[in-house]
Amino acid sequence: MSALMIETTDVSKSFGGLTALDRVNIGVPTGSVLGLLGHNGAGKTTLVNVLTTLLSPSQGTARVAGFDTVRDAVEVRRRIGLTGQYASVDEHLSGRDNLILIARLLGAGIRQARTRADDLLEVFDLVDAARRPARGYSGGMRRRLDLAASLVGHPDVIFLDEPTTGLDPQARLGVWEIVGSLVSEGTTVLLTTQYLDEADRLADRITVLSQGRVVVSGTSAELKAQVGQRTVTATFADAADLPAAAAALRTAGLNPITDTERRLVAAPVTGSRELAVVVRALDDAGLEAGELALTEPTLDDVYLALAHPAPPAAASSAA
Amino acid sequence: MSAVSTAPHDRATAGVGYRATAGVDPRTWSSGHVLTEIRVLTARSLRAMISDPRSVIMALVMPVVMLVLFSQVFGSVIGTGSLPAGVSYIDYLVPAILVNTAMQSALQAGVGLTDDMSNGVVARLRSLPIRMTSVLVARSLSDLVRGLVQLLLMITLAALLFGFSPAGGVTGVTAALALAVVVGWSLGWVFLALATWLRNAELMQTMGMLVMFPLMFASSAFVPVGSLPTWLRVIADLNPMTYAVDAARNLALGTAVGNGALLAVGISLLLAATGAVSAATGIRRP
Repeated sequence: MSALMIETTDVSKSFGGLTALDRVNIGVPTGSVLGLLGHNGAGKTTLVNVLTTLLSPSQGTARVAGFDTVRDAVEVRRRIGLTGQYASVDEHLSGRDNLILIARLLGAGIRQARTRADDLLEVFDLVDAARRPARGYSGGMRRRLDLAASLVGHPDVIFLDEPTTGLDPQARLGVWEIVGSLVSEGTTVLLTTQYLDEADRLADRITVLSQGRVVVSGTSAELKAQVGQRTVTATFADAADLPAAAAALRTAGLNPITDTERRLVAAPVTGSRELAVVVRALDDAGLEAGELALTEPTLDDVYLALAHPAPPAAASSAA
Repeated sequence: MSAVSTAPHDRATAGVGYRATAGVDPRTWSSGHVLTEIRVLTARSLRAMISDPRSVIMALVMPVVMLVLFSQVFGSVIGTGSLPAGVSYIDYLVPAILVNTAMQSALQAGVGLTDDMSNGVVARLRSLPIRMTSVLVARSLSDLVRGLVQLLLMITLAALLFGFSPAGGVTGVTAALALAVVVGWSLGWVFLALATWLRNAELMQTMGMLVMFPLMFASSAFVPVGSLPTWLRVIADLNPMTYAVDAARNLALGTAVGNGALLAVGISLLLAATGAVSAATGIRRP
């Protein structure tokens, strides 16, 4: 059996005249996490639907857990778990009933289904709410139920859809810990997200989709190296401070730009240590920034960097 | 979430994680048994139906409202001259309401499926190793149960509160009930098919209205066909509901049914077959 738990070969999908996927090739080794990044409409959902047997590709093949998603769709379905927009829980049913339902439809007998459901409820801290309709669950509880639902049948692969959107930082960390545990137990994860920091934290490799095509694929470090650095931004109450601030940063060895309209000075930095450098430089110049921020490259930065990889001076046919 | 953040590590070191529950081995699970799928999904639909008190009340109140409205409003208007001899309006009316309640229940089958298709439940079911036709059958069965409950409630209230006691007696009423159930169940398949192709809650409601009103009113349900204006009479003569209502009425009143019941059942089963095939095709579309 191939070491790749998810594998696509030139998968394309068109709906009428619209090309949703164009010759997408991905390969996810067993027990690893692939982060799928892209804006809405980039093709993430279509790709996941192909992998989870909901759609068949117009061209190319997709294999999940060693089975072809079209020819052996049933075998694939026995081995996958879905969350988020890809598959919902039944709001009318209690959390417990939801999990039991899924277990039974996966072929479990009633006793095994109940045992499995109760165990998952305990692990995901949903015991108190287990018998209430899912409709009444809080956002965090709902997320945990979604995750539990995807794990009922010990799937080899789970497809997580934006698992931490809208969660508070602590809940976020909780979900990330769970995903980490799952992966250490050998589960393969395909994670779709709009947030580079989430992909950074969880994914072994990241694939960026844009308009149905794979734009770039690599580890988080490789992607960031392509995108560039973090940025320190100092905002001032008085625009008159800007020239002095820019001069102070230049003296400190940075390369600042000034935005008079937004009253800020911004400079790319290679590490968070340079934030201290900025603070010291401004301090020495007797300046006090109203607001000081250190920002990571965002998905937009990734897109921008990839859409314009060559500097303007080197005009070439490579777009 | 403290329980979760400590649990995984403990469980992982103990060799038991999210993937494993003691005594449970999913590799031994065998899916794909149709009857189990249908049984489990039907139970799920029924449980979902009763989970929301408001929809339970709505489902029970609706036939009662219809009964009260039509018997009190129309009852006072229909002169005894236009009814068959010795038949009170309530005896004339209830069989029609039986058929109509069954029709409303059929529409609910379609609406319920549309909801499941839009709220992600069907998406979940698609990702599981089950047949999508089981989902349809389960929906049909659970709506059959709901319809039956509504019909029984209505007959009971009609008998207790409005003096419904047709000449056909218990046998006649039971036969009329059975006919209404068959008609409603069959029409349910048509609405299920509609749901799998339309996949839109608003369209479903609109279609429901467009279909229901002519079926209900351009028929012998509430007034004898003879008293309808000519153009309505033409539609009523073509309306399968007219035959169903006539047959149900004759069964309840104990008057000669002739081929009426067979005709109504035959047309219904034909509709059911067409609906089922169409729905099975429709739901398999991604």
